[in-house]
Amino acid sequence: MKRSVFALLLSAVGAMAFSSAAMSETLVNIGIVQATSGGSAALYGVMQKNGAELAIEEINASGRLGDYKLIGIHQDDAGDRGQSVNIFQRLINQEKVAVILGPTLATSAFAADPLAQKAGVPVIASSNTAPGITDMGDYIFRTSPPESMVFPGVLAYVKRKYAPKTAAQIYGIDDTLMKSAYAVHKKALESEGIKIVATETFQKGDVDYSAQLTKIKAANPDILVIGGLAEETANIVRQARQLGIPPSTGILGANAAISNKLAELAGDAADGFTVGSGWFIQYDSPKNKAFVAAYRKKYNSDPDNFAAQAYTSVYIVADALKRAGGVSDLKKLRDAIAATKDLEANNGSFSFDDHREPAVAPKVLVMKGGKFILAAD
Amino acid sequence: MSTFFQQLVNGISLGSTYAVFAMGCTLIFGVLNIVNMAQGAFFMAGAYFGLEAARLGLPTPLALVVALLGGGLLGMLSELVIFRTLRARGGHRWMGLVASLALARMMVGLAQEIFGTQVQRYPANGLLQISWEIADVRIQLLQVVILVVSLLLMALLAFVLQRSSTGRAIRTVAFSEDVARIVGVPVGRTILATFFLAGALAGAAGMLLGNLFNVVSPFMGEQMLVKGLTVIIIGGLGNVPGAVAGGFMLGLIEVFSVAYVSSSFRDAIGFGLIFFILLVKPNGLFSGFEERRA
Amino acid sequence: MNAWITQFFASYSNIIDLCLLNSLIAYGLFLALSANMFSLATGGFMALGAYCSVYCTMVLGLSFAPAVFAGALLAALAAAAIGVPVLRLRGDYFMLATFAFTEVTRVVALNWESVTGGAIGIFSIPRYTETWHLVLAVAVVVYIAHTLRRSYFGRAIAAIKQDDVVAQSMGVNVFAHRLALFIASGFICGAGGALAAHLNYFIGPGDFGLARSVDALTYPILGGVNALAGPLVGAIFTTLLPEVLRFSNQLREILMGALVVAIVLYLPGGAMSILKLRWPGATARETKLAAATEQAQS
Repeated sequence: MKRSVFALLLSAVGAMAFSSAAMSETLVNIGIVQATSGGSAALYGVMQKNGAELAIEEINASGRLGDYKLIGIHQDDAGDRGQSVNIFQRLINQEKVAVILGPTLATSAFAADPLAQKAGVPVIASSNTAPGITDMGDYIFRTSPPESMVFPGVLAYVKRKYAPKTAAQIYGIDDTLMKSAYAVHKKALESEGIKIVATETFQKGDVDYSAQLTKIKAANPDILVIGGLAEETANIVRQARQLGIPPSTGILGANAAISNKLAELAGDAADGFTVGSGWFIQYDSPKNKAFVAAYRKKYNSDPDNFAAQAYTSVYIVADALKRAGGVSDLKKLRDAIAATKDLEANNGSFSFDDHREPAVAPKVLVMKGGKFILAAD
Repeated sequence: MSTFFQQLVNGISLGSTYAVFAMGCTLIFGVLNIVNMAQGAFFMAGAYFGLEAARLGLPTPLALVVALLGGGLLGMLSELVIFRTLRARGGHRWMGLVASLALARMMVGLAQEIFGTQVQRYPANGLLQISWEIADVRIQLLQVVILVVSLLLMALLAFVLQRSSTGRAIRTVAFSEDVARIVGVPVGRTILATFFLAGALAGAAGMLLGNLFNVVSPFMGEQMLVKGLTVIIIGGLGNVPGAVAGGFMLGLIEVFSVAYVSSSFRDAIGFGLIFFILLVKPNGLFSGFEERRA
Repeated sequence: MNAWITQFFASYSNIIDLCLLNSLIAYGLFLALSANMFSLATGGFMALGAYCSVYCTMVLGLSFAPAVFAGALLAALAAAAIGVPVLRLRGDYFMLATFAFTEVTRVVALNWESVTGGAIGIFSIPRYTETWHLVLAVAVVVYIAHTLRRSYFGRAIAAIKQDDVVAQSMGVNVFAHRLALFIASGFICGAGGALAAHLNYFIGPGDFGLARSVDALTYPILGGVNALAGPLVGAIFTTLLPEVLRFSNQLREILMGALVVAIVLYLPGGAMSILKLRWPGATARETKLAAATEQAQS
């Protein structure tokens, strides 16, 4: 009986193995590894899946790739590293994907990306902002600007506006993204000679930040720097103002806090909130306007920067595919991706630098009346 | 000094939501000697019920009733589908834990499917935005309202348990199922009523917390479940007054460990304390009240 | 055929590894459950095993085998240390105390950055764990569990599971037996943590929280706590389920929950009790016995 249970399980796995799509010269499989279930990772995963699938649809409809047709294969890793590795193995060996977009979380990337690197399959991340992602190998790219790229600009703007001498920091201690954002913030503040008078932390799922903020209020900093995701940041900003941290104390956020949710959740309290990003929804370019309109039409909601970056990733692949003349040689494709230069994207012109990091001009944004606008100097 | 009082306010308002939620968890334990791991999901569902009601334009008190009823019905559903079936089939008590966890998982998946993964908020209520500043301590009207509502819910539960016939039946079943059967208490219906009450309290707590902190998400129940379990240990499993006291205590412990130790060790302090309490008073801090347990 | 096998392993080797790893942990919990210890300490034990072994291989430069052993030993020591006070607690208090242990371990891991890297975790861990290591570990644990069941120790444990008061009065040292099993369970979970750490290049505190502990309990309970093969079946089923259901996309979580509820309701003795359905008499007897045990406990 034990054996027959085994046989049953094995045949189930086998059935999955045989059901993979047939390869054809004109089909290009693109793995999309995004968490669409399993906790807060799904927030970003869903947006990126949407962005990538929209781009694939557009590119196929435009006929710009001639005989090549992009096939997006989305797999949900539920933010679970073990599953990310399972998916990468299957996408690489079974589906023979030309490129993998994702994964959603940096922790998944650290576990799964080495497999792609070893197999010589390019990976383009659009939400991993932790340091060390692209150090894993020359096949690993990202379109999400790391915090270290956007924060100095934000701080420079804030210095002009608030002339801060002291700062307080609050960040998510159990979140890879926020923990690394915190380190970047701290280093930048210290190098500008701003004294950090209070450092507080919170954990995923927390909703009450009043204890930490009361402590911060007592330290009376000139600026408050938040290392949190959008919904966390929104609540921190709102509770900070409720507790009486005055508007003269500027509040700054991390790149990941840029979301339309911020204004909705924080309300008026978010006015003056300053953040840096590679992309924002009101960015004034025909390409971006077309993207936002198409996204709204397909999904009935606004895109965020994760959706925008995933969308850009697909256009990068399409552009590289054309220059590499196909996907028969993934080394060539990788080289073509690495050579991406001045591609017209929804956040301006996009290039990869020598470290396969995005070389986009970071923008400093300020919240005003429920909308992010470009910071005026 | 004003910081101390501000933290006191913070802790009490956080603790009130813990207390309301934990009362439900401990009630079920008192009657059936089991932990219903789906309570966290009822909490989340209550927040969404209240949210949808508020969006339909119902006034807040009515929305709260919707959250209460919604949570309560789900609680009854969990008893009818899972726990009653398991009792009838002689399943091990562990099975109830596993099944209620799976039920919670299903509900989180369902909530994601219906409402999406993004965090939502209650419609802004201008009236509740008012806050007073007394000697540099900020108190929001919202916090006061939520504290009052929590206290009312506690009083209501005490009244139901002490004065109503259902309450007497619940206390009898909690004392002994066999005794209850002998004196003619309808055991099945009484257990169902307990699940209703527990679910309703979870649902109400969900709406209160959702309002207080402006957060409604499919995942909000997971952390609350952990807090609820913590509270019922502090208070003693099955001890309703203990859960109330434990709820406020946990709120204050969390806030003051942030204030005077470090926010990074907040949870370690909370759990370390539980560990300690269990070692010195293995039946909870308020085990002296055992005879008053529901 | 050969090519097919090669491709099969290339595509699914990680799933196979995870099935084995989870089976190993499932047997750790199986031992604990066999004396009615509903332990949520698994996450904590695995964290200790993982961080300790990674420290041994990456900082101290030890080779893999002693590193795994060190990790397992540390977890076993922790089990002994928390077991002495905690094992005196009644069932549900025991569960919650072990949960507190797991959470405290996680918070310490988040804050002790020089060793654990905090939330960023430790990456570029060498991949030493091979499939045959896992097969061997599972085989050894199954063999031990099998031998135990037939020994005097095993019968004493069975008596404790039925009714610990009666067992005590018959001269069984309940506390010592439970402590021994709890330590063994800690050792196995610690080894599991060490093997897991060297499988996927990366570990972080988030890997070893409540979810991990709950999953680990689910394996033997779903599979069946009375059959030796129960933990294996439960672990493989639970590990394969998300992969098999992946086609269902968003409905996956709902389907997974529904399937588990269905198993619990229709096979309250665990999946392995399906074997006994053929002998209705036996099932009825067992059900009565379980109900009696249940009453005795509450």
